[in-house]
Amino acid sequence: MTLKTLKIEAEKAIIGAQDLKGLNDVYKKYLGKEGELTRILRSLEKLPKAKRVKVGKETNNLKNVLTIKFDQRTQVLKEKAQQEAEEKEWIDVSAPGKRPVLGHLHPLTQVRRKIEEIFQTMGFAVVEGPEMETEWYHFDALNIPKNHPARDLWDTFYLRNGLLLRAQTSPVQIRYMEKNNPPLRIIAPGRCFRHEATDASHEHTFHQIEGLVVGRDISLANLKVVLESFMKRFFGEGVILRWQPSYFPFVEPGLELLMRCSVCQGKGCSTCGNSGWLEVIPCGMVHPNVFKAAGYNPKFWQGFAFGMGLDRLAMMKYKINDIRLFCSGDLRFLNQF
Amino acid sequence: MIFSYSWLKDYVKNLPKPEKVAELLTRHSFEVGEVKKVKGDWTLDIDVLPNRASDCFSHWGVAREIVAITNLKFRGPTSTKFVRGRTSADSVSVEVKDRIACPRYTVKVLTDVRVGPSPKWLSERLEVCGLNSINNIVDVANYVMLETGQPLHAFDGKKLSGQKIIVRFAKKGEKITTLDGQKFNLDAGVLVIADAHDPIAIAGIKGGKFPEISKSTKVVILESANFNPQTIRRGSQKLNLKTDASIRFEHGLDPNLTESAINRAAQLIQELAGGQIAKGLIDVYPQKTYPKRIKLNLDYVESLLGVKIPEREMKNILKSLNFKFHESRTREIMVEIPTRRLDILIPEDLIEEIGRVYGYDKILSTFPIAALVPPRRNEEIFWEDMAKNILKEAGFTEVYNYSFIGDREVGIFNFKDSIELKNPISLEQRYLRPSLIPNLLKNVEKNSISFSEIKIFELGKIFRMPKSEEKILTGVITGDAFYQAKGLVDALLNKLGISDIWYDEYRTLAQEKAIAFWHPQKAAEIKVGQERVGFLGEISPRILNEFKIKSKIIYFDIFFEKLVRLASEEHEYRPLSKFPSAVRDLAVLVPRGTKVVEVLNKINAAGGKLVRDVDLFDIYEGEEMPEGKKNLAFHIVYQAEDRTLRAKEVDEIHQKIIKTLEKEPTWQVRK
Repeated sequence: MTLKTLKIEAEKAIIGAQDLKGLNDVYKKYLGKEGELTRILRSLEKLPKAKRVKVGKETNNLKNVLTIKFDQRTQVLKEKAQQEAEEKEWIDVSAPGKRPVLGHLHPLTQVRRKIEEIFQTMGFAVVEGPEMETEWYHFDALNIPKNHPARDLWDTFYLRNGLLLRAQTSPVQIRYMEKNNPPLRIIAPGRCFRHEATDASHEHTFHQIEGLVVGRDISLANLKVVLESFMKRFFGEGVILRWQPSYFPFVEPGLELLMRCSVCQGKGCSTCGNSGWLEVIPCGMVHPNVFKAAGYNPKFWQGFAFGMGLDRLAMMKYKINDIRLFCSGDLRFLNQF
Repeated sequence: MIFSYSWLKDYVKNLPKPEKVAELLTRHSFEVGEVKKVKGDWTLDIDVLPNRASDCFSHWGVAREIVAITNLKFRGPTSTKFVRGRTSADSVSVEVKDRIACPRYTVKVLTDVRVGPSPKWLSERLEVCGLNSINNIVDVANYVMLETGQPLHAFDGKKLSGQKIIVRFAKKGEKITTLDGQKFNLDAGVLVIADAHDPIAIAGIKGGKFPEISKSTKVVILESANFNPQTIRRGSQKLNLKTDASIRFEHGLDPNLTESAINRAAQLIQELAGGQIAKGLIDVYPQKTYPKRIKLNLDYVESLLGVKIPEREMKNILKSLNFKFHESRTREIMVEIPTRRLDILIPEDLIEEIGRVYGYDKILSTFPIAALVPPRRNEEIFWEDMAKNILKEAGFTEVYNYSFIGDREVGIFNFKDSIELKNPISLEQRYLRPSLIPNLLKNVEKNSISFSEIKIFELGKIFRMPKSEEKILTGVITGDAFYQAKGLVDALLNKLGISDIWYDEYRTLAQEKAIAFWHPQKAAEIKVGQERVGFLGEISPRILNEFKIKSKIIYFDIFFEKLVRLASEEHEYRPLSKFPSAVRDLAVLVPRGTKVVEVLNKINAAGGKLVRDVDLFDIYEGEEMPEGKKNLAFHIVYQAEDRTLRAKEVDEIHQKIIKTLEKEPTWQVRK
């Protein structure tokens, strides 16, 4: 067999091999230790010198060519084998995944953190106060004297130890001002209690965030910008807001910030009592009597205060329709957050 | 409070449409709820702010507000007086015993009246505003109250014993039957109107049945009085009786209003029921109220509102509200406050008037100029957030429970120092919680219907007599999970930067055993150094039974405020050893009562510093074990910081450990 026919035959065999095993046989036959080419090379010594060099060179060339062809074919067959193997495997991606056991933070914790974060970016410190309060911090110091009908605005729980359960976080204003000098910017989150029957929109236990800013020339224009910025950060730039006069004994002037009802887009529904608007932040300029009660001279200081109900904000944010869910401990509810 | 649109229209020329009126009032004065069409009229449900009750629980008051906002003109009713015959004082005499409780008492007498039904316009207006028509006399009194805000009362002049009216506090044992037939026992806390003998009305709250206006009434005694708000409030609370009159008096009224209201009423009665208005007014008004004056600095107005308002505009607003003023100096005016505006006491009250009439929407929102002081971090909240995150990562769900517990829980848990509420909503919410555990167990009870494995926690306040309030972190896990909970507490404390944690067996006292809520054999104190920071244990089967919980429950209860003091953000990295470690296992058979920590201590003491870590990987107390024994299996990790340990070296230390353990006569290292 000439090298030429050997070449044709070997190339045919390489191309013809359909799997790696067959290819391996081809390799053994031509390039292996007992293969054709090896045999030719071994037989070279029997040839005359001149021929030996020529045939040797040609045989080595052929060996190189076939090795390359062989490698190429190996690559092709490997890929083919892998593809065939993969095709046998399959996964049903529609079958459910296995979830890790994750815990959940209460939605009010999450909303509270978000609110704290927004105010902290505006330089507010976060402080806390006790849930059991004295009448002085809860009423008198906030310009709500004894036997004043304004006290009826807070349906209060009274305790046998002479204290009461706070119905608002506002006493923290006084407690903080007593211990700190202005200027100041604080928010005070916390739990509050109101003596009222519960239903889907009323709860005797709820959560508030109080705010207070005091400085030399803090104005109502400042109050507006801080609360508007907050609302935009919390509900998004598209939130529609409105200011209304209101009355709270510890502020003067007193205002209320309302937002267009997100449930009905202002058309009127049960959530907003058909008004199209939701009262979200009662607020106003700190009453001079409050400054006096806290030991500040109202001649030198101006400030604003505000309060917001965490539960209501969370209800609007997550479209929760029953306020009682927050304290229900129901995992079917809590595991959604 | 319901207001009639057509009535307001009587006082405001060119009054805008009802919706527009509602919008204007909402933006500048009071929120207006529903606007409803009723019988050719409209009703506006106006939420008059409590500080404005003194002048705006009336159509006049609201009309004046509209006038101030819109710059329209106010036109009051025209008065014509027909005064004839006897003087009022001929029919009755008035004596006020307590001038603080009753600063003014005004009486007018009408004779020869004809009591009958009211004309349609009158009864309709009352009905629109939610009052029933009774007769032309009573209706006029109510009408004038809705018009002016001044409650009035009419007595049958012939029925007053001794022709006397005495304003005094009731005597103990006195009784009265009111117009609607209710009977009340009175006492010295209730102010009454009496004749020579008996109370004939509860002052400022409700009239008595006896001298009521009837068909046969000929002489009408009209009362228009001013009462102390606190007196009326106390009386109203004591009798649990709120009326249109008491609500108005409670908020305070202008003493100067009694006279114009009574004149208006007398005139209307004469128009509708005929008769004659007796000459003169009986008026007990010992201390007249004069308008207050308040100095207002116009620069302060601008500073507080944060907006520049032209001086003329400010003055126009004050004028539109009927405030008189004169300039006391540049940029300062002296304002005279009409006596009906009981709410205006200080300059800030006037600034509110200017601000709201000017319009809060017109005040441009402006950021304050303030020092860029970074806020101080609240350590407690910082660590609270951290702790909650760790528990969440460990698969726990956070719950918020009520701060209340009831008689049942107090009984089951034998709580001795719970704070009781004076006015609980129900017996289930009669005490403040002295522990978070009862409500967490209720959560488990409720949720076990839908969930087999429950891991929950709460971080909240607990309360104890006399006045203590403390933040506590409590968690519960269902199942036989003591070591899971313990590992969790370790991880939590470590993550909070607390080391030196250990657990001390809690020795339940003999007298505690029957009442303890924990399992007396499965309770530990969590300690950091020498300080106790909480408890860890299993809930006693007795308690689980009460709550109908079938699985075991492990709880941890951590004094959070202590934790905050111990927590630290400092954390130092320990260099990775460049040299490989070697692991040898060791199993030892010990009596069941032997504590793991005893074995660990011996291993560490014998092994010295080349023992990098000892890891208990199995505790076995099964059947194959000899009676009363358990098998403890450890991985011991050997490693040096400065060289690779040779196998021989490791074996030597390991043998040393084994020998040390075997010195204990009851321990047996298994080979």
